[in-house]
Amino acid sequence: MNERWEHEPDAPGQGDDAVLPVPSDDVLLAALRQAVDARRAVPPEFVHAAKEAFAWHNIDTELAQLTFDSSRAADRLASTRSEAASIRALTFTSARLTIELEVTAESLIGQVIPTQTATIELHTPSGVADVIASDEIGCFSVQPIPSGTFRLRCRALGGIDVLTSWITL
Amino acid sequence: MMRDDPQIIALVARASSGDQVAWNELVERYAPLVWSICLRYQQLSRQDIDDVGQSVWLLLVENIGKLREPAALPGWLATTTQRECIRVLRAAARHHDHGSLPSPDEMPADPDAVAIDNDVLAAERDAAIRAALAELPRGCRDLLLMLVSDPPRSYADISAALNMRVGSIGPTRARCLERMRRSPHLAAIIDSPSWGISVEHARGDRGE
Repeated sequence: MNERWEHEPDAPGQGDDAVLPVPSDDVLLAALRQAVDARRAVPPEFVHAAKEAFAWHNIDTELAQLTFDSSRAADRLASTRSEAASIRALTFTSARLTIELEVTAESLIGQVIPTQTATIELHTPSGVADVIASDEIGCFSVQPIPSGTFRLRCRALGGIDVLTSWITL
Repeated sequence: MMRDDPQIIALVARASSGDQVAWNELVERYAPLVWSICLRYQQLSRQDIDDVGQSVWLLLVENIGKLREPAALPGWLATTTQRECIRVLRAAARHHDHGSLPSPDEMPADPDAVAIDNDVLAAERDAAIRAALAELPRGCRDLLLMLVSDPPRSYADISAALNMRVGSIGPTRARCLERMRRSPHLAAIIDSPSWGISVEHARGDRGE
């Protein structure tokens, strides 16, 4: 294959692996140098944030998936939603609840369907950033528009507790 | 193709069942992969890269129990990272000009698919090597880390730091590398074509 490989067919204790080529000391050390450098190049806070993300594992809540996004061309063509005033419209759907969102110039407005009073939590990766009460027909407004990645958790009577997937506007 | 690495399969299974230690280990192994792919999208700011990283790991948290092939996790991370990089770049372009699509010269340059494949192979190999290093006896680990330190250190320097005769550094180096070569972590990659490719890759375009 190439001259970097050494063969050690007689090395003891290798069994069936005896025919495999093994890297020479110099190749192994060069690979070790690269492995160590690649890890050192990553900022500690980048790694830290990745570890923190695990706090979201197995949240005991019904997940609402993104089923409509006006920024997707296919959705825009098939749209029956009126979105003249909005920059972007999104719909999240779960078995018991649908959450419709519209991004306007100043705020993020939403409605839960079926219409009912609900409590909306704005979650960012670092925790709950805001808690918002909807009106009687499930309308709510988030201000200012979240700048980073976020998700909404909606709670309503009858044990309804629904979490959207992550959103970045 | 990489042989299915039983270590990754076990880590994914443990993380899926809620084990934070296993999750941290996966992050330690593959954060360099996510990072290196982000760097290929040169239009991304540091803040953008943090956003991409956050999205990628949050998506993995949500999907880790549903991965069809846990051993293919590095490939999944590479694909997801690319998709998130493009999404962040498109969102930035939209903010400049509400609603309309970015013009072709504003669209992200799509990094070479071969380059990304090489990133995945290099990341798998690097992760296995670091895992093998971590399980070596303390003395071996210290010596090998000094031998690859940047800037390089002289044998006299290493001798003083580790309280070891200069004449025994060479033989100890050989013995420690031999232990490393026998590590089960390396078994999954030692006969993989990634080895040759990635070392070339490391000496070629990594240094730019």
